[in-house]
Amino acid sequence: MKQSEAEPVRVVVLGGGTAGWMTAAGLASILNGQVRVTLVESEDVGIVGVGEATLPHIRGFVEKLGISEAEFMRATHATYKLGIDFRDFGKIGESYIHPFGSFGEELNGVAFHHYWLEMQRHGLAGDLGDYSLAVTAALANRFTPPAQDDSLSSTYGYAYQFDATLFGPFMREFGLSVGVERREGLVVSVERDGESGDVTALILRDGARIEGDLFVDCSGFRSLLLGQELGAEWEDWTHWLPCDRAAAMPCTHATQDLRPYTTATAMPAGWRWQIPLQHRMGNGYVFASSFISEDEACEAIRSAAEGEPLADPRVLRFRPGRRKRSWSHNVVAVGLASGFLEPLESTSIYLAQMAITYLVEQFPQDGRIDPRDRDEFNRLVDMEYDRIRDFLILHYNATTRDDSEFWNHVRTMTVPDSLAEKMELWRETGRIEKYSDGLFYDASWIAVYVGQGLIPRRHDPRPALGTVHTLERAFESLRGAILREVEAMPRHVDFLRAEKTRLAQAS
Amino acid sequence: MSEPRAPLQRIVVAGGGQLGVLAAVAMRRALPGCEVVLIGLPVEITAFADTAVSALPFTNGLHERLGIAESDIVLKAGGTHRLATRYFGWGAEGSHGMFPYGGGVDPALATGFAKNWGAGPRNITGERPAGSIAEVLVDARRFAPPPEDRATPLSDIDYAMRWHPPAYRDLLIGMAQSSGVQHVAGTIRGVEFDGEGNILAVVLEDGQAISADLFLDCSGPRTELASRHPAFAQQNWEPFLPTRRVWLGKPGQALAALEDRNSLLSEGWLSEVAGRDGLHTMLGTGDGIAQDAALLALGVEPVRVLGIAPARLQDCWMGNVVALGDASAQFEPLAGLHLDLAHRQLDLLLEMLPGRSIAPLERAEYNRRASLMLDGVRDALCLHYAAPRARTVFGEQTLPDGLGSFIDQYVRRGRTVFREEAPYLKQETTALLVALGYEAGVSPQNRSARLGPDETARRQFEDKANAALEYAPPYENWLASVLERR
Repeated sequence: MKQSEAEPVRVVVLGGGTAGWMTAAGLASILNGQVRVTLVESEDVGIVGVGEATLPHIRGFVEKLGISEAEFMRATHATYKLGIDFRDFGKIGESYIHPFGSFGEELNGVAFHHYWLEMQRHGLAGDLGDYSLAVTAALANRFTPPAQDDSLSSTYGYAYQFDATLFGPFMREFGLSVGVERREGLVVSVERDGESGDVTALILRDGARIEGDLFVDCSGFRSLLLGQELGAEWEDWTHWLPCDRAAAMPCTHATQDLRPYTTATAMPAGWRWQIPLQHRMGNGYVFASSFISEDEACEAIRSAAEGEPLADPRVLRFRPGRRKRSWSHNVVAVGLASGFLEPLESTSIYLAQMAITYLVEQFPQDGRIDPRDRDEFNRLVDMEYDRIRDFLILHYNATTRDDSEFWNHVRTMTVPDSLAEKMELWRETGRIEKYSDGLFYDASWIAVYVGQGLIPRRHDPRPALGTVHTLERAFESLRGAILREVEAMPRHVDFLRAEKTRLAQAS
Repeated sequence: MSEPRAPLQRIVVAGGGQLGVLAAVAMRRALPGCEVVLIGLPVEITAFADTAVSALPFTNGLHERLGIAESDIVLKAGGTHRLATRYFGWGAEGSHGMFPYGGGVDPALATGFAKNWGAGPRNITGERPAGSIAEVLVDARRFAPPPEDRATPLSDIDYAMRWHPPAYRDLLIGMAQSSGVQHVAGTIRGVEFDGEGNILAVVLEDGQAISADLFLDCSGPRTELASRHPAFAQQNWEPFLPTRRVWLGKPGQALAALEDRNSLLSEGWLSEVAGRDGLHTMLGTGDGIAQDAALLALGVEPVRVLGIAPARLQDCWMGNVVALGDASAQFEPLAGLHLDLAHRQLDLLLEMLPGRSIAPLERAEYNRRASLMLDGVRDALCLHYAAPRARTVFGEQTLPDGLGSFIDQYVRRGRTVFREEAPYLKQETTALLVALGYEAGVSPQNRSARLGPDETARRQFEDKANAALEYAPPYENWLASVLERR
């Protein structure tokens, strides 16, 4: 540990992938003056770089570092994302969008979906998504940034779809500009303090010794420090989330139009993604190796892809679950080294960003790690993982599909108690377990429940007490207002083009 | 296909105070076809939610949803506005801090998307902006409630309402009568249960039995209904909350101040709440404070002394009976939290209003959230007793699980931990900690922020403060003009 108070904390980040450079750049920028960040990466080690779709939170992270949105989007060939279109999950032939936005508005203290359920009963309501501005705009391939007030135009948010192989280098360039020192080299051994067990230095192949006070393990699935060196216990979630491989294959765009959303289509042994970037379409098949072979999966993605392939399918292997403690001794894992939840809801980059935010909040003071801060960090990370885990499992379990072994397994598996209770509460009463910390609130749960055909048996009594006509008029008026808003929006591809021109002129 | 649940046909509300009447009005409004019977039990003086002269800003929204106009509270119930509470002596002898209301942070957090999806900049810290406009207004004694339909320099100011409880209750009774709430006078002799923990009927002293689908226990600390339930169980809060006696003073001179006061004396805490019906003074003491010392500290003519035995219900909703307010928890009236708690519980019940048959999991979910509310109130009080000087006045108290870490995070790292269903917003909690004299540690991100005063932020604040002062009339003038027009 470092000697004097004025000396900066020496942080060593292991791994030059997305998580590594986000961590290094984030710490060096936000903790400017308190840290000296060294990032160790090796050209011999590949990066995963699949996380092409993000959540709205990434905007806050980029802003916090003082990076302009335009610069960031140009560098990563980013498009805008209003949500995810889930196809064939609840039932083959059915689809729904999980939007970054809400559905309707509560009325007299009763949530909108209860009114929607009531109107469905009378055959007078359209799809739930018809009452969401984000869903309607997405389906029309239109986009404009939301308003910053409390109006209908403010009822959605957006994220980006970007080229992850460009995002890492973009963060690297930014990281280097804020003083991160980059060391090229493979780690051959790890030095630890005999007494405390803390990591003291990484030894590289060329003999270099990289000392540090705090080590951030961003070495991906291998988890070299936290997993291999410290042997942090792993909690396996394969039973609930059986997908453990992805076959990724970029393609050209098949059409001129760019969707402002990601598409996730259920497959016999998993699901495949389509992520429209400015210059290409990201494609991939996330599958469970116990239900389909890698060759079969690669063949499946080849035949499913719509554009011209730009490369052969590349298979990535992973294991769903997480380390029971993401921070042990003086090693904090960020990204895949800490755990992995499959990419179904684009949570990978969010989880890395979340861990960085909490690490900043709990950053060692005066160079000393206080066990209380470590506990608080682990508590927060656990809460995030567990809430997302339940939400992901729901996508598999809420289905009527019985057309493959994979779907039979996930449809009939025992889900975690915490999820079983949420689902039972929904089924019996149409209510959502409420929380305001973590990720995925009411609107998200409702989107997936309803979208996958899990309709409650009963809903709130109050929507049935008024006259149907009044409700019908309110529904029509909301739908009308949404359609007018969407009509006034430019097409997504036009908005991107106009932004490009505007920025080119400005610079 | 989802069917609407069969609505409740009759609800019995036990309790005749301002909480019970409001609950009856709320139920009747939510379910116009449902009979609502209010059993007008006499109000006990220890039912603090019923005797409370004010609530917190949350109640303003609830009132609005229930059709209770703020202007009626001002015109008919002696209503006034509180922008902040001033804290004296909690950090050290002679120290002084201000606790204003409101989130007052990033406007991006007020958008429709942020409310529903929680995105936008993550709350990295719970720090307050560079000052509070509320404090500026309080010091200048200027304010008028801002109009709702347009933005003014006062639009961001959050406030709590005070009123004269009997007049406020009369206002609610008028609403209850005109909306068709039935009223039965009397006291409760007994309760009939079915075999599954549901109340079949409440039996009054005169033998009259009133059946219902749902029973709301608003009877205060007597807990007339909940205490008779087979599953009734309490958690003792005595290890955490040291106040054992509350000394009530005779109301003093009427006062239309924008602030109230919470002072820490060497004998205990002294609460002074202004009002058009007089200044309400209360003193809370722990064990071992002699009567003459307490009376001297109270400083005004004493009216009564009340014993406090702090506790909460294990489950607020058992079978078909839901306990609200003092029936769900008893604690000292130190920070005026009783009515706010009761109103938030009532609002939760409105959100989760059941059908005629109650699903066990909805009860469990209600109890989970109501428990967080109760513990949030307890912890807000504990923060008072754990304040630097309070620890010498009241002695060291046991801290509930998690609160030690909460304080530790603030004191060492300047971080206010977010807590679900807490009585205050995160930013308000930070303001309270400051007012109570906790010294905040510097957060890691702030250590790196540029040193020296941020000129831009300071100027922006000054501009906002000047605009507010220019726009706001002297509060007493505003009040007088409104009352004249009546």
